[in-house]
Amino acid sequence: MKINHKQKDDIRVIELSGELDFHSSPLLRDLLQKILSEKVSKILVDLKKISYIDSSGLATFIEAFQKIKHGNGRLVLAGLVPQVRSVFEIAKLDHIFEMHASDEEALKALSGI
Amino acid sequence: MKQSFQLLSDPAGLAGFRGHLRELLAKAGFDEKKSGEVVLAVDETLTNIIRHSRGGKQDGIGVEFSDFPDRIEVLIRDQGEKFDPTTVPPPGLPPDKPGGLGIYLMKTLVDRMEYIPFSGRGNRLRLTKLK
Repeated sequence: MKINHKQKDDIRVIELSGELDFHSSPLLRDLLQKILSEKVSKILVDLKKISYIDSSGLATFIEAFQKIKHGNGRLVLAGLVPQVRSVFEIAKLDHIFEMHASDEEALKALSGI
Repeated sequence: MKQSFQLLSDPAGLAGFRGHLRELLAKAGFDEKKSGEVVLAVDETLTNIIRHSRGGKQDGIGVEFSDFPDRIEVLIRDQGEKFDPTTVPPPGLPPDKPGGLGIYLMKTLVDRMEYIPFSGRGNRLRLTKLK
C-alpha cells in the first residue's frame, strides 16, 4: 500500500492506494495517530485506489474516528469502490462513517460549501 | 481439483497468497463479488492465526483449496493453541471499539465454517462457499 498526504486549507487529505490489510494497516495507523496528535480536526481519506480492506483496516479507521470525534473533529471517507464499501456495510460501519462518492464531494462537505 | 499451499506465519505473505486464491476462484467460476468474499474470509482466518502465532514466522500454516462441482472448500491448518472460532459470539454492530470483526467477517462471508476437532497439536478450520 502507498500513502500520500497533503494539507488543503484546514483539511488533511490522505490518499491511499493498494490493499489495506493486517500487514499494511500499521502504516496508516501510525500516520493517523501522528496527524491526530497535531490536533488536526478535519481528515479526508481518499480510498478510490484501495481495492481491498480487511478487519485490520476497518479497526484502524474506527480507532481514528473515535479519537477525532472525541475532539469534535471529523474524519470523512471518499471514493470507496464497491468491494471496499461492502466490507464497511457488512460491519454496519456505513451507519457511523461519513462517506462520499468522490474526494471533491468530501472536500466540499468538509469545507461547508 | 485440489491445490495445497504451505505459508509462513508472516503478514508480508498475505497479499501474494490472496493473488493465488483469486486465480483459483476465477478458475472455479466465481465472479468478482463472490471471490472477494472468499478471499476476505480466508485472509481473516490467516490473519487471526498469524496474530496469535507464538512460534514466529516458522510456525507454518497449511491451506488446501478444493474445487467441487457445487462448491469450493478451503481447509486451513495451523500449529497454534486450540481455538474454535465458531464458538465466538457475534460483535455488536456497528462496533463501538476497534477490533473483534475478523471472526464475524469469516462467518458472514462463507456459507459454512466448520471447526474440525482432532487430538493433535493445532487447529483445522474448513470454509465452504457454494457456487
